[in-house]
Amino acid sequence: MTTTSPAPFAAETGSPAAAEFREVTQRFGDFTAVDRMDLTIGAGQFTTLLGPSGCGKTTSLRMLAGYTRPTEGRILINGQDATTLPPEKRGLGMVFQSYALFPHMTVAENVGYGLKLRKVGRVDREAQVTEALEMVGLAHLARRKPRSLSGGQQQRVALARAIAIRPTVLLLDEPLSNLDARLRVQMRSEIRRIQSETGLSVVLVTHDQDEALEMSDDMVVMKSGQIMQQGHPADVFSAPANRFVADFLGYENFLTTSQGITLAIRPEHLQVQDTETDAVDEALNLRATVTDVAYRGVDTLLMLRARDPSGEEVDLLAETRGEDPGRYTPGDNLTASAPRHRLVQLGDD
Amino acid sequence: MTRRSTFVLLLVPGLLFLLLGFILPALGVLFAAPGATTEDIFSRLVQMFTDPYDLRIIGRTVGLGLVVTALCLVLGFPIAYLLARSESRWAGVLLALAIFPLLLSNVVRTFGWLVVLGSNGAIGQLSMALGLTDSPPQLLYTSFAIIMGLTQLFLPLAIVACYSAISQVEAGLDDAARGLGAGRTRTFWDVVVPLSLPGVVVAATLVFAGSVTAYTTPYLLGGSRQRMLATELYSYSSVTIDWAAASATAIVMTVLVVLVSGLAARLGRKGATT
Amino acid sequence: MTSRKPIAASLAVLGYMIMIVPILFVVAAAFTSGSSLRFPPEGFSLQWFEAAAGHTPFRAALLTSLQLALLSTGLALAVGVPATLAIHRGKLPGKGFIEGLFLSPLIIPELVVGLALFQQLIVTYRIDNFPVLLLGHTALLLPYAVRVTGAALAGSDESLEEAARGLGASPMRTFFSVTLPVLRPGIFSAGLLGFITSFNNVPLSLLLQARDTRTLPISMLDYVQQSYDPMIAAVSTLILAGTVVIAIIAERTVGFTRIFGGINR
Repeated sequence: MTTTSPAPFAAETGSPAAAEFREVTQRFGDFTAVDRMDLTIGAGQFTTLLGPSGCGKTTSLRMLAGYTRPTEGRILINGQDATTLPPEKRGLGMVFQSYALFPHMTVAENVGYGLKLRKVGRVDREAQVTEALEMVGLAHLARRKPRSLSGGQQQRVALARAIAIRPTVLLLDEPLSNLDARLRVQMRSEIRRIQSETGLSVVLVTHDQDEALEMSDDMVVMKSGQIMQQGHPADVFSAPANRFVADFLGYENFLTTSQGITLAIRPEHLQVQDTETDAVDEALNLRATVTDVAYRGVDTLLMLRARDPSGEEVDLLAETRGEDPGRYTPGDNLTASAPRHRLVQLGDD
Repeated sequence: MTRRSTFVLLLVPGLLFLLLGFILPALGVLFAAPGATTEDIFSRLVQMFTDPYDLRIIGRTVGLGLVVTALCLVLGFPIAYLLARSESRWAGVLLALAIFPLLLSNVVRTFGWLVVLGSNGAIGQLSMALGLTDSPPQLLYTSFAIIMGLTQLFLPLAIVACYSAISQVEAGLDDAARGLGAGRTRTFWDVVVPLSLPGVVVAATLVFAGSVTAYTTPYLLGGSRQRMLATELYSYSSVTIDWAAASATAIVMTVLVVLVSGLAARLGRKGATT
Repeated sequence: MTSRKPIAASLAVLGYMIMIVPILFVVAAAFTSGSSLRFPPEGFSLQWFEAAAGHTPFRAALLTSLQLALLSTGLALAVGVPATLAIHRGKLPGKGFIEGLFLSPLIIPELVVGLALFQQLIVTYRIDNFPVLLLGHTALLLPYAVRVTGAALAGSDESLEEAARGLGASPMRTFFSVTLPVLRPGIFSAGLLGFITSFNNVPLSLLLQARDTRTLPISMLDYVQQSYDPMIAAVSTLILAGTVVIAIIAERTVGFTRIFGGINR
């Protein structure tokens, strides 16, 4: 199960690794779900695998948990080769998208199941179950059956069940996707709190960039079975490596310079001025025509048509705050500008 | 891996039962009946389609099967429709009442018609009491009796199959059709019927296959006058001991059922209920 | 629900009459004090129930039927549930074919299967009637076992088992502590359905009977052919009562329409 040998240090970061993927490939027939992936999960870190569906993030998580065996490559947990280890020997805690609570057991029995398998005595077990349930604020529902709980409560029970076994790594497979928007935001901070209280290494799989940005220490953006970019959320957000990552993180405007370099600009960083004379120094200025206006309450979206520095026609999107919604109408001519430091230079995909 | 071989091992006992209790004996009927060669069986098979007596029995079996199928759909679909679309709390009870006969022995259910249709039975006595007839009418041992008996037997199957299909058609579609100006009847024919057609096909297949292979009903209600394939098969293999004829009859029955099921599977989508 | 759909409503009433009325007449006939199946019944008495209870062939046949139904249901579940597990969880190649194989006894007419077993095993190999009956009934019930428990398995979340494994349970332990409990309603449904199917069966048992191994429905058919008195009505009424009890058990546990109609409401 879990090993007590000292964790080796990941080459790049210098922080101890809880788990590692080494040249891992997973094929299902002709389809390559994960393609020669190298990844280090830092110990005590909150790592997020982010990407659209089909990018290989869930497959990676399932390989780490031991539910699917990689076609090629090795998976290390705590420095030990776990590639062929069955899931029950890995000592990881997994929270499933469907929660997967045992319908025939009470909440307490669900949470205590892993402890029972570890032959923890009844008294200790009850104490640890209560502790885990208290951590998610559900100790009062211990005797209920899962079916009688709300979706949010079931989610918490699943979380308590996974942390009760004190896993080497806590794995979360889109755990918040079945919750309504408000509960989702609340659960994000709760999961963060539990992570910092327990010091657990966590791997979260999600397709929601807000979730990834808010929760992770380390963010891994994936596409077609490959890692596009890995780093601290703030770094990835402010400096996406390529157009895919930029697109996924909400960059809407892409321009090509006369040297053929691609620049990305977030819609909230594109400002509009009425006349050319208002053009801002130290900024990129483009003549643009309004094609559509969408009022959204806190801001107004302007859809613009412009010619980028390379001479191509491009569609732009600008978010303007505090403007009178009736100020712009389709057909208006104006200047769109973005300060130099808001221009993000992208590499190739 | 070892995982796969474990699962294969789990299949073995079941496959063994299938092989010994079903597949091998069934093949034997075709090729190795005791005291009858394959040629005997096939020449008897050819004879069945030329001999007027045999042809009459095949014709009666198929004909009654078709009548019963039609009757079960005509009666079963409206019941299923009313039950599926009803919001009354009695709908559940009525549904259970329609399904309950499926649990009850065919012998018991068919025996009821002896009481109803027999010469001292309810209909006979009633028609005499009303002065309609002087002597009780001959109702038993007629095709009418068999049709009634088989309809009683298979109507629940038709209801269940249609009900499953109709309840999968969103009631919102009915509302949408009504909202667009279709009347109640129009909605029924334009929306409900086409969308629940796969269920109707399943129902028809089950009823037809059941009717052409049923034994108890023609035995009790048809007697020696209204012989069908099933009763013939029994007497060939238990009374006259004509193995070639028994095998040939079995083959005709099986082909009939498999043919209709295959046709239905192609017609509607796949999926049967019982 | 009937007021505004007159045609459908009258067809429905006719349908219910055909399904139900003959059964009511059987019950009425069972309590007659007369000696024939005459309508209306002549007076009230329980004499035909007494006669039925004392009729040795019926008592023996009931015992045979109960033994056969219990054994074949048990066997079908014992071999069918593991097979279902392999079909739905084994990720085996040819899954559709294997499942089709287990459902195949539904396609061939039971009378034909009966003939096959009679010819091949009783006539050719001179095997005793009861083992052949048991083999035939088990093969007949396998489709029910595989389909009903399969539906329960397909309807349950496969990540339940994965969760158990992740928490440290071995495959065996996972089966007994998670899969089997989750399957329990499905197994129970399949069991009830199998019992009823075997107990009521005529066409398969018909050719496989012997003088001392005759099931209840078959000996009722034999009796009707010989004499035409209300004793069969009494036996039928008793069977009806037993069936009602099973229906009530079904309703109190998994749900009557779910088990016997395959309908989830």
